[in-house]
Amino acid sequence: MNTSWSITKLKVLMRREYWENRGAFRNTPAILGAITVAFMLMGLVIKVRFDNEGYTFREAMRLFALQSEAVRGYQVTQSMMAMSGFFLMVMSVVIFFYLLGSLYDDRKDKSILFWKSLPASDGLTITSKLFSAMFVIPLIFWGFLVATEIIMMVIGGLMVWTADQNPWTLVFGPAQPLKAWGLVLTGWIANSFWMLPIYAWLLLVSSKAPRVPMLFAILPPIILAVLQAWIGFLKTFQLQDNVLGITSKWIANSPAILAGQITGGSDSEHTVSVSLGMPVTSTFDHAPTITNMLDRLFSMQMLMGLVVTAVFLFIALWFRRRASDG
Amino acid sequence: MNTVISTQDLCKKYGNQYAVDHVNLEIGNGRIIGLIGPNGAGKTTLLKAILGLTTFAGELKVLGLDPRKDRDELMEQVSFIADVAVLPRWIKVSEAIDLVEGLHTRFSRGKCMQLLSKTKIRMDSKVKQLSKGMVAQLHLALVMSIDAKLLVLDEPTLGLDIIYRKTFYTNLLNDYFDEERTIIITTHQVEEIEHILSDLIFIRDGKIVLNSTMEEVQQSYFELMAPPESVDAARQLKPLNERSLFGKHIFLFQGVDSALLEPLGEVRTPNVADLFVAVMGEDQ
Repeated sequence: MNTSWSITKLKVLMRREYWENRGAFRNTPAILGAITVAFMLMGLVIKVRFDNEGYTFREAMRLFALQSEAVRGYQVTQSMMAMSGFFLMVMSVVIFFYLLGSLYDDRKDKSILFWKSLPASDGLTITSKLFSAMFVIPLIFWGFLVATEIIMMVIGGLMVWTADQNPWTLVFGPAQPLKAWGLVLTGWIANSFWMLPIYAWLLLVSSKAPRVPMLFAILPPIILAVLQAWIGFLKTFQLQDNVLGITSKWIANSPAILAGQITGGSDSEHTVSVSLGMPVTSTFDHAPTITNMLDRLFSMQMLMGLVVTAVFLFIALWFRRRASDG
Repeated sequence: MNTVISTQDLCKKYGNQYAVDHVNLEIGNGRIIGLIGPNGAGKTTLLKAILGLTTFAGELKVLGLDPRKDRDELMEQVSFIADVAVLPRWIKVSEAIDLVEGLHTRFSRGKCMQLLSKTKIRMDSKVKQLSKGMVAQLHLALVMSIDAKLLVLDEPTLGLDIIYRKTFYTNLLNDYFDEERTIIITTHQVEEIEHILSDLIFIRDGKIVLNSTMEEVQQSYFELMAPPESVDAARQLKPLNERSLFGKHIFLFQGVDSALLEPLGEVRTPNVADLFVAVMGEDQ
């Protein structure tokens, strides 16, 4: 079979994934965006009702305007990136459940026999599901994140304008939205590669679990971790790294912008700063730069992760081939 | 004749039980084969082996390919319905058509639309909104629009009403079947398909107990409806099977000259259902 024909089929199969999961892929980020905007509007209502002629807001804007253009730009850009953390968390839940069901649902309702009657190989089918998780879902979520932030900027701009400040010179001019969005998307795609061992594990569970794939996804690692901790403790009387610890650290080392924190003392000096993953490990630098993302992708850890991924995917494919047997 | 399916000592075991027991078959193109057997006889397992959906021992070639190794290539030329209820419930009719068209080079959208236009199925309906019969109609329309060399239908009309079943088999013969194609059908409603079959295969306990063309069946099997006075004479000719109906005795013979039977009563070709009962009950 030639490559271009395979790519055409892969596109068809990925479209099928989208059709089946419109609710999770498209509606979830849409609702998330809507809720975010709704919260902002609720805040606006509170401001109108309780902020005496907008005094507090006006004062906040005045103080904000006192800061240098660079600081203002930095804060707005960082805040925009920090918001992506919520989207990433919800997206991770969506991907988790999507992958768990991806090779399970059609076995459960027996439509696997329909899919297997079509000339699409099991390898291509699994690839379409993996790519949907790695690229399609992040791209859609990112699209809604950008749309949400644009709406928020418009509303925010109007608010700034009612506070007698020029939104362009105060906020939008110094901000770097394209940089924020670009960095978020790059981080998410890098994260897709970084999470491959976990994604492959979920596909493996999905390809074989006789029921409740969720249980089969989380129980074995927990049992393994308990055993590891127990055996390790017996040997050294110290708690060593177990599979859960390794997984948590792995997630903490994600190359996607995940954590944001507010630092600084007085009102005017509050600074939002974001980091890659969660800054609780010291294996990698958590500053949000492309270099640090690439550092992770071209690391020894990633290489080992890819080996694990390959093993899991191979087993998933093996199970999928035999899924219609019996 | 081009060989479409050939097997040598094809076996499939579940535990200690043979589901398919040393099956040797040779099926050519341009045939419509009825694969008939009681429940649990190994029909579905045999079909699964042919479609590369299960592992097996022995030799099996389908269109010159090994269904285990070359399944992806095989599926370009084979289409099948394994069970009526297997279309995914979430899919829209239009999406199902787009999908099959996108994956199958041999799919004709025009033909599919033409088949669907005769039904009440709407393009924007989801499968879960369709009745069981409509789902089967949709599935059959999709499959019949694929220009496949081998079509396998495992109980394709299960749960459909008789009007639709009749129409379906007529369409299958008139619009779909041609000399290049081979169709294998399993069904419990044998009487509805016997007039379109070219070959008959009976399977029991994983073994082929009868494999012949319909002409051979017509030439070698006779049913004799004998009045009471001819019963003893008929029994001496060693019938395969004897049953009585409204006081008359009905015998089934294999390989007995019809000239010997004619003086004893009314001779005719048995229908497949009676033949099935007679052959299956042979040594029980």
